[in-house]
Amino acid sequence: MQISTEKFTELAKKGVEKARARPFLKMVPHFLYQMREAGLATLPEVSAAQAYGAAIRSEALNRLPELLEEFEKNATANGAKVFWARTAKEANEYIANLATERGAEFVIKGKSMVTEEIGLNEHLSEHGIEPWEADLGEFIIQQMHCPPFHIVGPALNISVEEIRDLFMAKAIMKEPTLDPVELGWAARLFLREKFHRAEFGVTGVNMAVAETGTIINLENEGNIRFAKSSPKTQVSVMTLEKVVPTMKDALHLIRLLSRNCSGQKISAYVSMDSGPKKESEIDGPEELIIVIVDNGRSRIYQDPQARDALRCIRCAACLNICPVYRQIGGYAYGWVYSGPMGQVLMPLLLGLDKTQDIYRACTLCGACKSVCPAGIDHPNLMLYYRSMDLSADHPFHGKKRPWREVRFFQAWGMAVQRFWMWNLGISMTRPLMNKNSHNGLIREMKGAFGGWFRKRDFPPMAEKTFHEKWEEIKKTH
Amino acid sequence: MSEDRILPSARNEIMGRLKAAPKTKIPIRPFLPPLKEASLGKEELINKFSEMFTAETGIVYRAKSNDQALEKLTEIMKQEGLKSVMVSTDNVVTSLDLPAWGNKIGVKVMSPKDFKGRDDFKDAVFDRVEAGITGVDFAVAESGTLGLIHDKDQARLISLAPILHIAIVPVERVFPVYEPVIERVFKKEKFPSQFVFITGPSMTGDIQGHLFKGMHGPRRVIVILVG
Repeated sequence: MQISTEKFTELAKKGVEKARARPFLKMVPHFLYQMREAGLATLPEVSAAQAYGAAIRSEALNRLPELLEEFEKNATANGAKVFWARTAKEANEYIANLATERGAEFVIKGKSMVTEEIGLNEHLSEHGIEPWEADLGEFIIQQMHCPPFHIVGPALNISVEEIRDLFMAKAIMKEPTLDPVELGWAARLFLREKFHRAEFGVTGVNMAVAETGTIINLENEGNIRFAKSSPKTQVSVMTLEKVVPTMKDALHLIRLLSRNCSGQKISAYVSMDSGPKKESEIDGPEELIIVIVDNGRSRIYQDPQARDALRCIRCAACLNICPVYRQIGGYAYGWVYSGPMGQVLMPLLLGLDKTQDIYRACTLCGACKSVCPAGIDHPNLMLYYRSMDLSADHPFHGKKRPWREVRFFQAWGMAVQRFWMWNLGISMTRPLMNKNSHNGLIREMKGAFGGWFRKRDFPPMAEKTFHEKWEEIKKTH
Repeated sequence: MSEDRILPSARNEIMGRLKAAPKTKIPIRPFLPPLKEASLGKEELINKFSEMFTAETGIVYRAKSNDQALEKLTEIMKQEGLKSVMVSTDNVVTSLDLPAWGNKIGVKVMSPKDFKGRDDFKDAVFDRVEAGITGVDFAVAESGTLGLIHDKDQARLISLAPILHIAIVPVERVFPVYEPVIERVFKKEKFPSQFVFITGPSMTGDIQGHLFKGMHGPRRVIVILVG
């Protein structure tokens, strides 16, 4: 996927224009948020449950090296094979080679964020292996060649008319329809043939349990279960922070993830694999390969503060509540991860220099933090990124601000601490500012401060400061 | 690029970085109040399970005995006009002797044992049956969930590929919450290759948030509680 995190402002504008024409952003995030509230209310004490989830994720990160070793040991004992990949490239090459060795003509994929992150589909296509996304939303956006609009519902914004035209053009159905159920049915029939014939399945992983060496997937559609039942080879790709200490912890996170994501008590299917199928079983994979992808995370882990971004369990509650996401939608974020979870993850994965606007497109309102079941403090992280960017001496590729901005704020800092300098500055700035005033408002300004006026008007500066007026009042009375 | 050369070095490099990272304090786990389902009595559990399962558009019938369960199955076959089913060979289903039942009422009953291998079985379970009938190892009242251990007698695709899934649930297998179920699944040395929680039919909301059942898996799930 083309990464376009550097074009945030441009894309955000487009998103706002487009989104206004569509009912999606007005309804779905709000609806999902309501569902979440109702789902969480079925727990005896919501705040305690959320706090417990945060404690699990915190402990998992804290003990990450030992838990990974324990997971690897137990998964291997279960008969799974574990492959470690430093980079996206290593993971992609390994999977493509394996698919080629197994003679797979196509790969059936269960919904997974990490395989989007590493660009597995593109890599497989280049090697002549056709990847088929089998989650309905992923299937639609794969055919349309667009990024996910929402991490849980990647194609939620796409209209039924567009889907009809797409399905007709790609011969996925014969008779045009605008009924979502009929469209879904057409996709079902089309993909069913793929599930039936699949020899090679690829999935992500929601949780990897250290205690038992088990991988867990949550889903509603059944695409992941098919990818883990029909093919002879199953490759499950996980990033290294997915590990949790115990089965009991995993169960609590399943409760939280389902509720925070869609308000369900539990997603329709939760499948837990401990190794490949046994000799006597008729279906299920003959080999289970777990690919553990680093792709920059062990470097993030070095920084105890930035590390908190790795707590994320991908529930998307933060997207649905974020006032910025609700206006601009998912495309503006320019990559697979959107909303606050994308804003805390992408700067670390791609570099602070390539995501300049991403971690600044935040009002620091803290709504995301208030709903997070993993205890991520998003606003604090975004402030941290801004400060790292400023100092520029950090492994995350801080860029420093433009020298003029730096000088300006240095001067500002000096001026606000010395009243004579402040007063002098005011008297010098006033005529420059007020020159742009028309009908009692400053609507625009040329030069470095132009950006400030893009969305707001300023009143002209008063002719006299309060102190000057005060002196006059004292004299006259 | 040989795999063996990459394997240890990638692993060691990643683990090395993780181990060298500064340690932080492990937080103390806060108090977690128990779920209220944990205190339900036997009949309450069954009612709770039925209520939750129905809320997910599942259909629940209660049978007092195996004979009643078979009667119910016959009724379902007639109602739906079903002619062929795939059944698992777990101990719940085996105790019903479904092949004999099928013979009597004219429904073709197949099980994985009738097929030479994976491909034959897949052809049948994908295209030649109208329903899958399985037993369950567990049911959970908390969310109206079925728990299936996949092994030689519980093939994965029977509860997944046919458009209708009928699950036979002995009432003594209904548990209040997930924890005791998972304890039982993972207590032995050898874990099942796959364990699955099923809660209602397959579903999606991926087109404009419009929810509908039967995306890739079954469109309907029917439970017959026995006992």
